[in-house]
Amino acid sequence: MSAMFSQNPLMNGPNYSFNQAPSTAAAGNKEHGFYPYTDNGGSTLAISGSDFTIVAGDTRSTSGYNINTRYSPKVFKIGGTTSSQDDATLVLSVVGFAADGEALKERLDAIVKMYRYQHGKPMSVKACAQRLSTILYGKRFFPYYVTAILGGLDEEGNGAVYSYDPVGSYEREQCRAAGAAASLIMPFLDNQVNYKNQYIPGSGVGHALVEREKIPLGRTEVEDVVKDAFDSAVERHIEVGDGLQMFVITKSGIEEKYLPLKRD
Amino acid sequence: MEVLLGITGKDFTLIACSKAAMRGATILKASDDKTRSLNKHTLMAFSGEAGDTIQFAEYIQANAQLYSMRNGTDLSPSALAHFIRGELASSLRSRKPYNVNLLLGGFDPITGKPSLYWMDYLAALTAAPYAAHGYAQYYCLSILDKHHNPNIDFEQGMKVLRMCTDELKRRLPIDFKGMLVKVIDKDGIREVEYNDDARIACP
Amino acid sequence: MDTLVARYSQPMFEKDYTEDQLDMYQPAPSLSLRFAMPPVAQPSAWLRAATDDHANPNCPIKIAHGTTTLAFRFQGGIIVATDSRATAGNWIASQTVKKVIEINNCLLGTMAGGAADCQYWLAYLGMQCRLHELRHKRRISVAAASKILANLVYSYKGMGLSMGTMCAGVTKEEGPALYYIDSDGTRLAGNLFCVGSGQTFAYGVLDAEYSYDLSEEAALELGRRSILAATHRDAYSGGFINLYHVKEDGWVKHGFNDTNPIFWKTKLESGEFSNVTSELV
Repeated sequence: MSAMFSQNPLMNGPNYSFNQAPSTAAAGNKEHGFYPYTDNGGSTLAISGSDFTIVAGDTRSTSGYNINTRYSPKVFKIGGTTSSQDDATLVLSVVGFAADGEALKERLDAIVKMYRYQHGKPMSVKACAQRLSTILYGKRFFPYYVTAILGGLDEEGNGAVYSYDPVGSYEREQCRAAGAAASLIMPFLDNQVNYKNQYIPGSGVGHALVEREKIPLGRTEVEDVVKDAFDSAVERHIEVGDGLQMFVITKSGIEEKYLPLKRD
Repeated sequence: MEVLLGITGKDFTLIACSKAAMRGATILKASDDKTRSLNKHTLMAFSGEAGDTIQFAEYIQANAQLYSMRNGTDLSPSALAHFIRGELASSLRSRKPYNVNLLLGGFDPITGKPSLYWMDYLAALTAAPYAAHGYAQYYCLSILDKHHNPNIDFEQGMKVLRMCTDELKRRLPIDFKGMLVKVIDKDGIREVEYNDDARIACP
Repeated sequence: MDTLVARYSQPMFEKDYTEDQLDMYQPAPSLSLRFAMPPVAQPSAWLRAATDDHANPNCPIKIAHGTTTLAFRFQGGIIVATDSRATAGNWIASQTVKKVIEINNCLLGTMAGGAADCQYWLAYLGMQCRLHELRHKRRISVAAASKILANLVYSYKGMGLSMGTMCAGVTKEEGPALYYIDSDGTRLAGNLFCVGSGQTFAYGVLDAEYSYDLSEEAALELGRRSILAATHRDAYSGGFINLYHVKEDGWVKHGFNDTNPIFWKTKLESGEFSNVTSELV
């Protein structure tokens, strides 16, 4: 009867005290609360350039207001021939529920590795992007609680970023922020990478203004944008901080960079 | 499922309301008039909670007429709109608020300008060149966005209104029993003959 | 108890492979109908609690939702037009979504509802259409293609799929054919459909000037203008206008254009949208 007063929609049982599971069995079959998700916070970000892609993520892992660890990577190399992933060409970032993220990474990595052994060549980002989508949709009715971003270089050698929702809808984009601070970072990226709402001064009044010309950013500029984005997110979001892990994908391989972020 | 529409033009304001009075699944009357005239050049259309609508409208009507009798002059549409907003806003903060949505159409004979005010039951007031309440908003505002401009004459106004009512007959699942149309211009308020018999089929 | 015994006493050879094992043996599987299920008695109720933002606004998984789409038949073929905004609650997840899905070079699908559901199942439909071509040595009819999709989503009814889609194609046998299919299992043939939260606004503009005898140019403009109307009045619609024209020898894309300049051009040149002031106050 007290089931009706539950605050937890999934528990659907009595819980006046904190985290108390249903203790009385209702008539008939009683299903116990099944809630296998938690949010580990953090944020990720990817930007593609003309001949490179940068995928970055902070390294803080939280549960509620607690910090579990200051170094738990969210960005992974995918599909190298060895465990060191030295010859990988793809990078996957996952943010949301860390365990699902880990499981997804392991699964995609295994698939891309198998592809490489069977075909004798690394998987293209385009193919990997489609495959990741079907993996995510394969759990449509029991989703991976993650927002994934895949980075790499396309067949022409241009930077490529693919972003996903938890059940696998995907789209190729110029840049994308995901996770806890997505709503803080994404508007900044719209403005600084795609020059949204930037107009040539003096070119007109109101709606007659001429848009600023879009020039692809260079690698150092993009690295600066990424750093600024995360420094700002750390200032205003409690779940972001500690360290910034950055993968730069170019045709000569993947470079990893680690920069400290504020740890408070 | 009540429909209220208002359109202003060069020298007139059109107010149109559905003729059905509905209670639950029943149409009680198919020639209902959901308008009250406040003075010679101002007309108020209303929809909302049964009972509240007429009580509130007639209360406003009585006060507007009292003002005209005492002062020998009519309140302007803008003055009336703000008076009504005040009354609705104080009612909203009382024990039992009126639940009424309104359109106020007017024509100022001195300046020669038509006016239209839209007000919802929360007493949010705005002046607009065209306005609607209820489901009509979803279907008609996009039509009016495209086909209205402030300099249209009466015939063009009726043509745009016809586009709106045709669309409602085409897409609304419930029969609202046609529209009652009134126009406010320099000569005052008058009802316009409006033929609603044509059947409109979905394409 | 019996079910428990049955589950754990299954012979090895009958054992289902886990997803991971399957991935190994089948590194590039076709789009399949095997889905992982949560280990609970009522998977659909569980899923609703975890993903449905109407029933539970604080749900952890926000599924991207799509929003104004339209398609109509006319003498020159079929016009398909959409906006490009994806929202998750009040958050605009993307302004550049491709809501017209190119099933193959003469069939188009549109996307409203769950973005992933539409993408996946229309890709699956594309696969089935290709298989039909290979098996029967001729192109599938739009009626048959839409029925494959309708039967498919109907088999998942109650599981929480969310899609409102239109299939548009032109074939020799049918001429221009347009079908509406949604996740309830509805499948309707028709001349004109608008789907999504902005549908009523698009219907308003479209119905007023629609006729089967429209010229190609007028039809394209009407499609564009109807989406513009919806992006103007519906907050969940916006971004870019995606326009397609389907003819018998395949579809033609007519641009992916930003709504903002189109809005101002429409307002200033045709004097429409008189409720918006163009003077800077």
